[in-house]
Amino acid sequence: MSETIKCNHCHGTFAKEVMIKEDNLYFCCNGCQGVYHLLKEDGLDSFYDKLGNKSIEPPINCDKDTTKFDLASFEKRFVQTLDNGFKKVDLIIEGIHCAACVWLNEKILYDTAGVIEANINFTNNKAKIVWDDSLVKLSHIIEKIRSIGYNAYAYDAKIADEKATKAQRDYFIKMMVAVFATLNIMMLSVAKYTGFFTGIDEQTKHLIHIGEFILTTPVLFFSGWIFFKGAYFGLKNKIVNMDLLVSSGATSSYIYSLYVLFGGKGESYFDSVTMIITFVLVGKYLEVIGKKNAVDTLDKIKSQLPLEAVIIENKQKKVVALDEINVGDIVELRPGEKACVDGELQEDKATFDESSMSGESHYIYKNRGDKIFSGTINIDSLIHYKATTNFANSTLNSIVTLLEDSLSSKPQIEYTANQLSRKFSSTILILSFMTFLAWYFFGFKMGFINESANTFEQAFIVAISVIVIACPCALALATPIASLVGISLLASKGLLFKEAKFIETIAKATKVVVDKTGTLTHGELKVVHANIVDDNIHKLNLLYSLLESSTHPISVSVKNYLLEHYSHLEHKTLLDVKNIQAKGVVARYKNVENKEYTLLGGNEELLKEFNVSYTFNANNSVYLFAINENIVATFELEDEIKNDAKEFVSYIQNSGMQLIMLTGDNEKVAQKIATQLGITQFVCGIDPIQKAQYIKTLKSQGEIVVMAGDGVNDAVALSNSDVSIAMGNGADISISVSDVVLLNNSLKSLKEAFVISKRTYKFIKQNLGISLVYNVITIPLAMMGFVIPLVAALSMSLSSLLVVANSMRIKNEK
Amino acid sequence: MNDVLTMMLIVGLFISFAILGIFIWGAKGGQFDDTKKMMDGLLFDSQEDLNDAINREKKLKESMKPKEEKSKKE
Repeated sequence: MSETIKCNHCHGTFAKEVMIKEDNLYFCCNGCQGVYHLLKEDGLDSFYDKLGNKSIEPPINCDKDTTKFDLASFEKRFVQTLDNGFKKVDLIIEGIHCAACVWLNEKILYDTAGVIEANINFTNNKAKIVWDDSLVKLSHIIEKIRSIGYNAYAYDAKIADEKATKAQRDYFIKMMVAVFATLNIMMLSVAKYTGFFTGIDEQTKHLIHIGEFILTTPVLFFSGWIFFKGAYFGLKNKIVNMDLLVSSGATSSYIYSLYVLFGGKGESYFDSVTMIITFVLVGKYLEVIGKKNAVDTLDKIKSQLPLEAVIIENKQKKVVALDEINVGDIVELRPGEKACVDGELQEDKATFDESSMSGESHYIYKNRGDKIFSGTINIDSLIHYKATTNFANSTLNSIVTLLEDSLSSKPQIEYTANQLSRKFSSTILILSFMTFLAWYFFGFKMGFINESANTFEQAFIVAISVIVIACPCALALATPIASLVGISLLASKGLLFKEAKFIETIAKATKVVVDKTGTLTHGELKVVHANIVDDNIHKLNLLYSLLESSTHPISVSVKNYLLEHYSHLEHKTLLDVKNIQAKGVVARYKNVENKEYTLLGGNEELLKEFNVSYTFNANNSVYLFAINENIVATFELEDEIKNDAKEFVSYIQNSGMQLIMLTGDNEKVAQKIATQLGITQFVCGIDPIQKAQYIKTLKSQGEIVVMAGDGVNDAVALSNSDVSIAMGNGADISISVSDVVLLNNSLKSLKEAFVISKRTYKFIKQNLGISLVYNVITIPLAMMGFVIPLVAALSMSLSSLLVVANSMRIKNEK
Repeated sequence: MNDVLTMMLIVGLFISFAILGIFIWGAKGGQFDDTKKMMDGLLFDSQEDLNDAINREKKLKESMKPKEEKSKKE
């Protein structure tokens, strides 16, 4: 191999001979070179010190025209005028990879006269920019960002972002207050519990109780407020939820402790109050972060929607906002642009990348009158098409809307999870209430109850002790500890669970639905069969040169195949290289003796057009190469099945679950893959919305559905399933709506997800069993007044220890 | 001995609540919204960067001035 060298700007590594050399500097492209000099001139080269060894993306080549940012329609939609007369816009900056990128962008913006504030968030690449409109225009600000190799899109922060940011901040503060109090209370508790054994005088104990009281009060009423709110809304909808158990347990322990503090003797439970709230709150905070990430991704998708379209009216081009496109308008689409409404093609030929919508791995060739879907990308040439929907009804918009809906309705699952603990909560509350009534009306005199207290006090203390002894350990720990061990085990296998409850759902799953492209297969075409008729190196060099002149995925795959199998391939200069729409590439070559050759590379139709008769029978995509009408090489390409696909399929089918494959591809391809993998059930040729519909139908039949997929085309279906698993290399949107992310894309890990989840669930059930036995013994004792505070404290820790120790076994076995 | 404990408890709680207050002040101002940027803050505290930060605040103040004067005249 030739020597590789780092680009001085982006730090990407490339072969030395393809680099642009300048003195002792090397650049991979003109963009990098330009930005490098710009930064040097502006004295911003400390960027490279900050970048260190990290590499960034080469500058994004984007459309130079920034005038649209000054249009009234843009301003109306995205720009806000602040009270002090400045303007504010929310942007998403594309191309940010490291803290140095953030620094560079902020620096260059602040150095621009008229920019008042430029704050870029590194985590989600969102930027808030405030500027003085009389000094600088937004278009100029965007030009600045583009000049250093980044790009910016506007998004509307008011829809979801502001709310999500505020929620995240609120929960963060609440959680930190709780953590702060818990840590301090633990220190006080150490003193108190040591006092049990070494002796502590009542006065000192009282002092510690006062300290604990001061620390606990803000935790219960500030941090714990959300549980009161949750319990209230639960009750309003006649549902007894975990929030009610947490808040009633915490409040009753708090009241009991207050009673101990102001008068009664005994042990306070302030420490358990803060601990219950802190632990549950940390879990809730993680959930809020997850939701915020989903909002960020959705904003990113929406910001890349086209803002306006070009339509042809009376043979004149006219730029209109998306909402103004009417059915029947002729829309113009340049190469690389996304279609914004559905329509019918008006050209003879066009090529579309539909992978984002249908999951179809091949580029789609369209003929006049074929349907064009919004969200798909025009590949080759400038085309016109007739709109058949307006924007509101287009496929693209309906997917975005569906996703928005599913994000807001996701927490519904919470109501169906944790069935057992909900029943437990109501049972404990009823038992405690009945205990109170029994003690109060019958005036029992038994157990270790303080004889000097009156009947009401006695009844109250006994009732509270029932809740206290039942609440914190019994269930609050049984599930989370086992889940935590399970989740960390899963994470070490490359499986990221966004919430613990999905372990349970996966363990109970009855149907597993998988997408074909990108999930069972690699999602990219690979040469599966090559027939090189004549492996003369000169001819192969010509083939290599012809392949290099095209960026079509088929050409790229064949080129990679050649590079893998042959060394010393050289690039030859070809003449008259012509891309023939939907067919292939044609070129001429003159050798040293001035002899001329015609080179053809493409599918059968291309050969037919040039009167080369050749028939090729294959179900796959083909690439044929001919020199002067003689076939030199043929290649068959196929989307390759992942290594562990077969093992995964047989595991699922043997463990009592049903596997169903969904795909947008045609039946022939689907049938082939199904036979290879032994899949008995598959549905083919369906679009994203039908996929989602299919999942919904399964769910309505009472099935628990786990779905695994990768593309934007799966996003809606993923968000509709009970648990969704996304491939780590999949589209951002499908990752954000998913509950589980498979970081290494391997189906072996996907199998592990099921194995470990089932195992963890088994241990959760065991833990619940342990805590139930504990409760069956202790609750009756508490109801009869036999639980003195010391016993309560000890038995609580003992039962927690049992549950924790049992959960650790998840890791050990096998 | 309990007097000493009482004093320690009062002073200790007072200081820690003060720190908690400062922390909440920072959190409300959005200082912890961006966890990734926060963690890398260490890389950006050279003299030059700190000067930049001051200049930015000055710029913000100065740009507010003419507007205020304008509104006073009106």
